[in-house]
Amino acid sequence: MADGSGWQPPRPCEAYRAEWKLCRSARHFLHHYYVHGERPACEQWQRDLASCRDWEERRNAEAQQSLCESERARVRAARKHILVWAPRQSPPPDWHLPLPQEKDE
Amino acid sequence: MAGAPDERRRGPAAGEQLQQQHVSCQVFPERLAQGNPQQGFFSSFFTSNQKCQLRLLKTLETSRSHDLEAVVPQNGAVNKDRHFSCEDCNGNVSGGFDASTSQIVLCQNNIHNQAHMNRVVTHELIHAFDHCRAHVDWFTNIRHLACSEVRAANLSGDCSLVNEIFRLHFGLKQHHQTCVRDRATLSILAVRNISKEVAKKAVDEVFESCFNDHEPFGRIPHNKTYARYAHRDFENRDRYYSNI
Repeated sequence: MADGSGWQPPRPCEAYRAEWKLCRSARHFLHHYYVHGERPACEQWQRDLASCRDWEERRNAEAQQSLCESERARVRAARKHILVWAPRQSPPPDWHLPLPQEKDE
Repeated sequence: MAGAPDERRRGPAAGEQLQQQHVSCQVFPERLAQGNPQQGFFSSFFTSNQKCQLRLLKTLETSRSHDLEAVVPQNGAVNKDRHFSCEDCNGNVSGGFDASTSQIVLCQNNIHNQAHMNRVVTHELIHAFDHCRAHVDWFTNIRHLACSEVRAANLSGDCSLVNEIFRLHFGLKQHHQTCVRDRATLSILAVRNISKEVAKKAVDEVFESCFNDHEPFGRIPHNKTYARYAHRDFENRDRYYSNI
């Protein structure tokens, strides 16, 4: 975690509010049920919004820690799948090369 | 894809299957133009290649693929003239990604409206994104191909509830996953001469991992709101990773 003097919430508080609002919407319920077969869980966005506001107003260290842990858990959850392929360090070298001369126009 | 240059247009590395209800119009596209008043003027004055180019331009300017464009190669841009090609295709394939030339092929004879173009471009850009960020063995590793097809079916809107209803595939609870498995299998069969069982097995093996890989969106972009939020997260990424 970065030291407190330069730290700010990973997302603006408005972003947490927007994600919470989207999560609670009827349309998102439908999308989530269609994909996962269960209702979405939105409580964490609400907790993160509260932590973000707490930090903005009072610079509460517990709020900062709670927010960091929550976001790290999200990153872990997004990356926990086993990769099928090996990642690249840079795009393929031929991505921007001109097309072969044999191509008919 | 076989890799031989003269077969490039016949066997792209990864392809997309056309919606089933337009079977009769896949072979005779002029019949579709007659029955669609919205496209009457459009179809009268433009060739299929011109229509393809115009639809592609509109997609790249306004669609959720706009966000993919920004992230496909991490340090460069997708160039419309270099990385896209409108061509006539055999069968009912809508498009494909040709890894040997780093080019997305759009089947101008099989894409008949703007919404379809949006979906095809997004689908193929996901293949291009995978090609740029990982060592994907398109030609000899069926699991790599299956993984990219699962991701493309999952993230492009191919399997939205509305699209599935139009295909007369009715289902709600977790139906999205059924659709993704089926369409990924169909896409593999469109570009590989293998049995349905082998294709399905490859999809099953990689599904758990690849279905949950939502890069570069970070979520399934069901509509413009989700795509906008994904783009916002992408633009905020430096702040995000330096503060967690």
